Amino acid sequence: MTERLSSPLARYFEIYRVQLKNNFVREAVYRTNFLTSIIVDLVWIATEVTLFSVIYANVPVIAGWTQSQVFFFLGIFFASDALFTTFFQRNFFNFSDLVNKGDLDILLTKPIHPLFLILSRWMNLTALFNFFMGLFIAFHYAAPAGFPGGWKWLLLVFWLLVGLCAAILLRFAFAVWIFWTDRNWALVRLYYQFFAFATKPDAIYPGMIRYLIPTVLPFAFIGSVPARALLYGLQTWEYFALAFVMLGFLGLNTILWRKGLRRYQSASS
Amino acid sequence: MNTALDWRAATLKNGFRDATAYRVEFFSDIVGSAIVPAAIQLVFWHALFTLGGATEVAGMTFTDMIHYTIVSVLFSQVRGGDQDFELGEMIRTGTLSNYLLRPVSVVEFIYLRGAAPRFLIAGLSLILGLILSLWLGGASPVRVCGAMVMAVMGNVIHYQIGAVLSTMGFYWEDAYSMLMVKNLVVSILSGELLPLNLFPASMRWIWESTPFYLYVFGPTQYALGRWTHLEFLHHLGIALIWMLGLWFLIRMTWKIGIRRYLSLGG
Repeated sequence: MTERLSSPLARYFEIYRVQLKNNFVREAVYRTNFLTSIIVDLVWIATEVTLFSVIYANVPVIAGWTQSQVFFFLGIFFASDALFTTFFQRNFFNFSDLVNKGDLDILLTKPIHPLFLILSRWMNLTALFNFFMGLFIAFHYAAPAGFPGGWKWLLLVFWLLVGLCAAILLRFAFAVWIFWTDRNWALVRLYYQFFAFATKPDAIYPGMIRYLIPTVLPFAFIGSVPARALLYGLQTWEYFALAFVMLGFLGLNTILWRKGLRRYQSASS
Repeated sequence: MNTALDWRAATLKNGFRDATAYRVEFFSDIVGSAIVPAAIQLVFWHALFTLGGATEVAGMTFTDMIHYTIVSVLFSQVRGGDQDFELGEMIRTGTLSNYLLRPVSVVEFIYLRGAAPRFLIAGLSLILGLILSLWLGGASPVRVCGAMVMAVMGNVIHYQIGAVLSTMGFYWEDAYSMLMVKNLVVSILSGELLPLNLFPASMRWIWESTPFYLYVFGPTQYALGRWTHLEFLHHLGIALIWMLGLWFLIRMTWKIGIRRYLSLGG
């Protein structure tokens, strides 16, 4: 066992496996919570679908997107967002407590990267239901939306990962300021306010917002750009822009995290 | 000395102080919650009218839609509040016990404490609405005042429904999910994201059978002169019936629920 864990990768893998098991056990205890979470997810999906159904009851096309294409986008978005909710969301909610209460101390002393422990500790496995619902919606509307299917479904894995990475980078960029502020509730609220922009296809936004959401506030990478890439493909410069923005956010987050750690102090440290 | 009035006034005052203790947070929250629903509406109108080339949707022109967006933002600031979540959490964690010992109604106390900042926002929205009424066709100061009354009643109804749902906490692990479901449904059926007359005729019964349209859509329709005074009074009557019915429901559900309540420790 010790020998197997001497490899850093194996150690990380083993820790993640244990975290996954602990989270599963915890959620299995609260079965009612599992059911009610599914109801909330279903209502959320129904709300978004109703919103567009009402719009499409009045017009056949919005900014070149048919109803089926928008529902295909919604499927991708729900699946991508569910991955984030399942594996990361709770950790970000607890991040401010770790810093404010000084609980980060204990994580900093472990022989594992503290960010790995911070971001992998809590999971919301019931949200996986939303992931499958998203996939179901995307599959259901793929053909009427004009998605060619076949081997191109493999690209879905890549684009879901892009959406997940974008959500993590963005959420981190909003959360890391806790090192400088006593309370970052306003920033968290702001994140969720902006998140509303991720729930619509980017093509429908007017000029300024359309440039903001794949650049400074790349919420379009969560669902909109992946859906557009799958349906129509992206232009070459868009792939470069995507990589540039994601790497830019990664760099910025790394700098802020390091600066934040230097500033961090608690009663026990 | 009127004790009944005193504790209510003190609760409102404390609630306001609590909410504004972090001023930047308080105001950024107001701005954020005003801008985003408005931006989403504007995005839809841009897509439908500018990109799509439509001249009229559900009998409304681009200007009508913009007016709806501007005015509905004022009322969407008044609706809601998180006090029902607080009630549910109190039941779940047992902190309700502390409040049961006090000689005041816990449901009313929690409402007033959380509603204080909303009343301030309602006042500010009213001033803005009165200014806008001079500029928007169909609107008038009287209509804006009447619409604000309806929006405040909507705020009460919203909490009443939440207070009833929070009693699920007496039976279940917690009422959080039910309250989330309610808020999701409200977001679309209140008219905060879309004017409800965009719903096709066959789907109108959905929003007409809930009180949620009284939060944003109703006040906006009246303020913009799209409801006659008679229609407004009719809907105001409906709001009163909902308030009365929910008041009885709160009394009943809490009376039954509290019998099951068990709190261990001090």
